[in-house]
Amino acid sequence: MHLRVSIRAVTLAATGLFVVSACGPGGTTSQNLAAPDKQVINMNDGTEPNSYDPTQQTYTYEAAVGRNVFQTLLSSNAQGTDVVAAGAESYKVSDDGLTYTFKLRSGAKWSDGKAVTAADWVYGYKHLLNPALAAGYVDPFFDTTIKGADGYADVDVSKASAIDTFLSSLGLAAPDPNTFVITLQHPAAFFKWVVTLWVASPIRQDVVEQAAGGTFPSSDTTKPEVWAQKAATIIGNGPFKISEIVSKDHVTLVPNPSYWGGAPHFQKIVLWFIEDANTAYAKYQTGDLDAITVPLANVDVVRNDPKLSKEAKVYPKLTTFWMTFNAQKTPFDKPDVRMAFAKSIDRDKLNKQVQHDIQKSILSFIPKGMAGYDESDKAQSYDPTAAKALLQKAGVTADTLNKFKLLTRNTTRNKTLNQFIVDQWNNNLGLNMQLEVIDSKTVTSRIRKGNFDIYGPDGWGADYPDQQDWFDIYFKNSCHSLNWGCVDLPGYDDLVKKADSELDQNQRNKDYATAQKQLIDQAAVAFIFQDYEYNLIKPYVGGLTITASDDQSLPGDLFWHDAYVTQH
Amino acid sequence: MAVVAGRPKRGALLPKRVAAVTDSRLGSLGVYVVRRILWMIPIVFFVIVITFVLMHSAAGSPWDKAGGRQLSQVVVDNLNKKYGLDRPVFEQFLLYIWNVLHFDFGLSYQYQGKSVLELIAGGWPYTATIGVLAFLLIVPIGVGLGVLAALRQNTRVDYATMGFATFAASFPNFVIGALMIVFFSVLTYGWTGGNFFLPAGGWGMDDHLIMPAITLALLPIAYTARLTRASTLETLRQDYIRTAWAKGLPERLVVVRHVLKNSLIPVVTTLGPTFAFLVTGSVIVETVFSIPGIGRAFVVAVTSRDYPMILGTTVLFSIVIAIANLVVDILYVFIDPRVRLT
Amino acid sequence: MALPVAVVEAAPIDWEVPEEQIGLWQDAWIRFRRNRLAVLGAAVVLFLIAVAVLSPLLVHFGLLASPLTQHVESIETPPGVNGHPFGTDILGRDTLARLMVGSQVSLTVGLLVQGIIFPIGLAIGLTAGYFGGRIDNLLMRFTDIWYAFPDLLFVLVVVSVWQLKGPWYLQLIPIFGAIALVNWVGLARLVRGQVLSIKEKEYIEAARSSGTPPLKLILKHLLPNSIGPIIVTLTFGIPNAIFLEAVLSFLGVGIQPPQPTWGQMVADGAEAIYANPSGVVFPALAIGFTLLAFSFIGDGLRDALDPRMRR
Repeated sequence: MHLRVSIRAVTLAATGLFVVSACGPGGTTSQNLAAPDKQVINMNDGTEPNSYDPTQQTYTYEAAVGRNVFQTLLSSNAQGTDVVAAGAESYKVSDDGLTYTFKLRSGAKWSDGKAVTAADWVYGYKHLLNPALAAGYVDPFFDTTIKGADGYADVDVSKASAIDTFLSSLGLAAPDPNTFVITLQHPAAFFKWVVTLWVASPIRQDVVEQAAGGTFPSSDTTKPEVWAQKAATIIGNGPFKISEIVSKDHVTLVPNPSYWGGAPHFQKIVLWFIEDANTAYAKYQTGDLDAITVPLANVDVVRNDPKLSKEAKVYPKLTTFWMTFNAQKTPFDKPDVRMAFAKSIDRDKLNKQVQHDIQKSILSFIPKGMAGYDESDKAQSYDPTAAKALLQKAGVTADTLNKFKLLTRNTTRNKTLNQFIVDQWNNNLGLNMQLEVIDSKTVTSRIRKGNFDIYGPDGWGADYPDQQDWFDIYFKNSCHSLNWGCVDLPGYDDLVKKADSELDQNQRNKDYATAQKQLIDQAAVAFIFQDYEYNLIKPYVGGLTITASDDQSLPGDLFWHDAYVTQH
Repeated sequence: MAVVAGRPKRGALLPKRVAAVTDSRLGSLGVYVVRRILWMIPIVFFVIVITFVLMHSAAGSPWDKAGGRQLSQVVVDNLNKKYGLDRPVFEQFLLYIWNVLHFDFGLSYQYQGKSVLELIAGGWPYTATIGVLAFLLIVPIGVGLGVLAALRQNTRVDYATMGFATFAASFPNFVIGALMIVFFSVLTYGWTGGNFFLPAGGWGMDDHLIMPAITLALLPIAYTARLTRASTLETLRQDYIRTAWAKGLPERLVVVRHVLKNSLIPVVTTLGPTFAFLVTGSVIVETVFSIPGIGRAFVVAVTSRDYPMILGTTVLFSIVIAIANLVVDILYVFIDPRVRLT
Repeated sequence: MALPVAVVEAAPIDWEVPEEQIGLWQDAWIRFRRNRLAVLGAAVVLFLIAVAVLSPLLVHFGLLASPLTQHVESIETPPGVNGHPFGTDILGRDTLARLMVGSQVSLTVGLLVQGIIFPIGLAIGLTAGYFGGRIDNLLMRFTDIWYAFPDLLFVLVVVSVWQLKGPWYLQLIPIFGAIALVNWVGLARLVRGQVLSIKEKEYIEAARSSGTPPLKLILKHLLPNSIGPIIVTLTFGIPNAIFLEAVLSFLGVGIQPPQPTWGQMVADGAEAIYANPSGVVFPALAIGFTLLAFSFIGDGLRDALDPRMRR
């Protein structure tokens, strides 16, 4: 077995022992640090988390809190190229790829001072995988990988005994307090990334049960969550802990005094829940917020402002957007027709003008910044003449197409983009299609039923920087559940499944590249842009490690432990 | 000529002591209040029925996400089981009524584990503070401007008031809010080098309250002013007022003693529901100024299909508006003694 | 046995009658015409209606820029740049053209909604106020329920059931319904309040005891004396309806873009308020002028209908 060499890692023998030195606290000393009482930072989380239990969280605005208050076994390095040790010091994978043995971090402590043990990890994973709690991130990351979890869908959640049987059958073991063993159903080279998902955190059983007033049957759905309602009972193993939650207003993080990695510099991180982007923009200018994402409408204002333009920068995200066609409706079952539509969008105008040159055009699937990014296949590039020819070749008339509508979610950004895109289609293909702007939940319920013609912009943000996370969107049986258009790509499923379980990284990359080419050439969807964020960050915020995996509008939130405020 | 015997009055057969109370002016008012409060029960019930039916008819489920990875069918099924959504709608309805009678309004779908009562009780003080503040601006300014404009009809004062009223009504409150933030927060911050500026939203029992309250109050002030003006103009034309002028009574006396009371009926009619709307919050003002109140609660609940929150906020609002209308009706009696309530 | 009652034919009394007997409404029209501001208001309204009707023709004949053509190289430009007298919007479309064509939707929404609210609110308010008693109680409790009616939910349901198809005037129907349905309650309660306070007055008593039928009593005596606040409510309802259309579109239910409406232009302009404040100001001014015009008309109407004013 041959492991890919990563930049920071040192690979040893064929047993695959994997060690990386963890980031120490603070790093260098000469950064002009502000006094501790000024080490306060205010950022905008946008929306209040629905839950503070990391295992139950699903949105990026929740992840920011979850991943700083709790810590997973492994985490991503700053470049997104490989994993580094976090809650676990090291891990080894058995030769058959089925057993992952994690040596837990010695000296790791909870925010109340107690040591983190393997039993806590087992309890956390079981909490995540309890079908009665219906955590959003279980499928497909955990129920398709961990041994025994493939029965997740069949458990009768009203019966505590059925749940208990299921949970005890899972491949999760704690042979000793410092070792956590996960057994898989089948080999999966990407599993090391799965354990970096912030939902896979340890949980303290005694804290949960005390808050619930005692033990409770596994089928109970409210008692297991009581502990996550109040700041005082949210005990985590991450670099920060929650000191106060003011509902709908803000949540405050302070250092976890017992964190193994030493104290962070920030003494307070206040995450506000400001929904109006212009209000956040105003608050940045009055000093109430230290970092924001510039609303698209204000991009040029910032660019032309002598002071603000110095504080603003564009950062890539591992997110791609595309337009989806309902392949169950003729003529969108024909790749030529879909390609015609893909080739009649002037992405230059879309991204340079309408999106103020923040987002960047893309003609392929995997975004820049991730392994697998490949811009060589330009089959979907803008060419209205070729597009018209493709339509004619497919024998499709304007009348058939004019009945179709572009289903649009009712956000300003989507409305603006889609008005432009449908205008492009109308002008370049001689059509007269209309938009259909509807409430977002109604849109979701319609695409789940396949009740749409064209839908977009649809997108995907990497859960982790491994291509496995991306390609299963277009599986045949993801029809109505991610593959909204129900596109049928011959040979695709087998190719991707092979790549998913392949252990040789080179071979995986080759297979995924072939799959990507198929997506582009068959115009499964029309790729339009990669998402970039235009952020304003106050100059006195230092030491931020900004990655493409940061949670939205919260620059550097994966590495806040190392950041600081400089004197100003 | 035949003598037609009338039906005995309602309280005619009550024992003397009770009748003494209920027949007195205050007493009959008390009876009226009690009857109206009892009427709130069927009102709330019907509101719940309507809301229940509409909720379950709207497309989209609470578990459809706005974008990105959707929840798998398994998880959706388990969530439906968790919240009892897999049961027939009628059964859910009965269960809800039963719980409401025990003051249990259920748990929110969106904010896991939090009860609806807790969320509403937590957010209401913020909303109500700003609402009451706005109301305290609306009543004196709105009524005052309206009376003034009426007394000085077709003069510059009148035109100025009308101009202001039109201006205030031409801009929806999200624009007014945004404009205020631009001026009083951002630009003022720039002009005074960061020394004097109003905070751009957020909560605080200090200058954080100024802009949201004004934004909330502006349109109601305009409407109240115009309404008061129209009503006052009509009162001013009454014969007994003209008699008062003819008698040479001072303007202030006439206005306060006679004109004001008689013009107030339509004003009070609209101020009641206005108060109810203010106190249950404006989604727009709370979004623009980032107030952690319940004004957004209803809209957010509807867009995320958080059924218990939809029901909870709607019930709250129906109670508040019923009380507001009750107060208005009682005020009618005090303002214009000729008005007879039944 | 009936007593003989002498029937005396009285001689016709010579009242001092003006030369012409005119009805209330004709009288009102003459007085309205004399009110300069009211006439100005009426002129503005006629102008707006003309704009609404003619602007598509102007676009068709190239006299006006198209409200739909996107010039993405000049997004959110201020007035006067690149030949756009009022500037451009978020996709580079000419604001003046959008303002003019948008008057179609906005005027229709503003006026027609009031046209629906007026009879409903009036009828219910008059009935409740005049008859009092149980009828008043039932009707008012009905309005209490209606006040709490979850209008947003209702609109969502209507939209999911009746997918917005077709040209803008068809799309408007469920939106009208939704807006009107919710907003009649205020008018009803207002009217009822007026009626309650007026109906006990002496001249009403007089009219009633002289045998005037209830309907005539209501229409000829109660209504004109309470018309002032009603008119104010209706005129303020116009911008209210225009903005409600925009708010509904925020929530995903409204006129489908790219059809311009003043309300949506204000909403879109508010987002870009730092980049191009004129984007908000122009549609707001349009709405303001409309409201002003109708306010003048309303004031003129009220003055004209006031039976106490001398000719």
